[in-house]
Amino acid sequence: SDRGMEKRNQTPTSPNPHATTMTSFLSATAAVRSRNGEKCLPIHNSEGGATISVSFDGQNLAIGTGKYPTASYHDDVGIDHGITQAPWERRFSPYEFNGGTTLAISGKDYAVVAADTRLSSGYEILSRNISKLHPLTEKCVLGSAGCKTDVDQLRSVLDIKMKVYAHNHRKPMATPSVAQMLGNTLYYKRFFPYYAFNVLAGVDSEGKGAVYSYDAIGSFERTPFSASGSGQSFLIPLMDNVISHKNRLDEKRDLEAEEVVEIVKDAFITAGERDIYTGDAVEIMIIRSDGIQKELFQLKAD
Amino acid sequence: LYELREERTMTPQVFTNLLSNILYEKRFGPYFAEPVVAGLDEKGSPYLATMDLIGAIETTKDFVVSGTCDGNLYGMCETLYKPDLGKEELFETLAQALLASVDRDALSGWGGVVHIITKEGVMSRELKGRQD
Repeated sequence: SDRGMEKRNQTPTSPNPHATTMTSFLSATAAVRSRNGEKCLPIHNSEGGATISVSFDGQNLAIGTGKYPTASYHDDVGIDHGITQAPWERRFSPYEFNGGTTLAISGKDYAVVAADTRLSSGYEILSRNISKLHPLTEKCVLGSAGCKTDVDQLRSVLDIKMKVYAHNHRKPMATPSVAQMLGNTLYYKRFFPYYAFNVLAGVDSEGKGAVYSYDAIGSFERTPFSASGSGQSFLIPLMDNVISHKNRLDEKRDLEAEEVVEIVKDAFITAGERDIYTGDAVEIMIIRSDGIQKELFQLKAD
Repeated sequence: LYELREERTMTPQVFTNLLSNILYEKRFGPYFAEPVVAGLDEKGSPYLATMDLIGAIETTKDFVVSGTCDGNLYGMCETLYKPDLGKEELFETLAQALLASVDRDALSGWGGVVHIITKEGVMSRELKGRQD
């Protein structure tokens, strides 16, 4: 969709022939225009930018074009309650954000992966008890946040491909191979992507912890930790400081799985406080060569 | 002018209100600034406040953040903050929170400055961070 600048010059019915109404999608432009006498109302709200055109004919102040205020989305993550966009301007979007945050941390011989259990749509909570973690093999778990239907479809596709692999190779897939396959599967849909923000966690064939980060179209990399979803900006700098020991002068040491689980719980408490889409509970899984341990940790339900 | 008329320094609360009014004056052509205010009031108790670019005030007891990496800062502060920290501990906490947050933001960084405000004075230290 072309969200470029739009200029609308209306034929004024007012006595002042110089009164024009104009909408701008850029609040800086709107500020400059208002200084030049063209009235514009930049409104900043959490739902994305909106501008309401204002005209002043020297006597009366008229707000809007009369019917509807026109609104713009600076990006496509706006929440439309039906009041900011005129019906004929609203477009069907195939994507919806169902919220959630996932976090995965690798250790010497284990990997920890965690995800909250809240499913939301807009400002509403659809469920407090939906798992975002999906074991693909005994040694590998996929955590995904994003659009639930895309996530479910992606999992089905991966499960099928892994069954075929196990059938052909007579062994379950190793974690680095799963990582590559997930990357390829995502890139397959390069031009109509799966709206899924994935983290893959597991142990590799040598028994060491492995975590892979992905973007929506399949770019991936093995990393010491990975966080994705709505709460990622709250978690990533903390992980940089505590796990990767950045900007710290004390000595770095290997952390035990139990210590990492405590860090994960703290991190999700933080994300739950500051992110509206994260909360209710955290599902935590510790993956080792001999199996997967699970834990459910309750968070604030607000 | 205030100090001349009142013959005393402005308290942080009054300053915050003044700043809010200045910002709201430019409601339809704002200053693109989102300030944070930190200080000690006349009784010596700490005061924190932040505003959006048109002057909506928020006061908190624990921490306030602002900037391009405010999400990162919220995460760091929420986790690292404890009430009643001493001067040196508070400095460490602030420094870690700031450095970790700006290192994950392309638009922020290149070092930092921390001011610790006490009734004895203001202690300022520069931080050396990633120069990228």
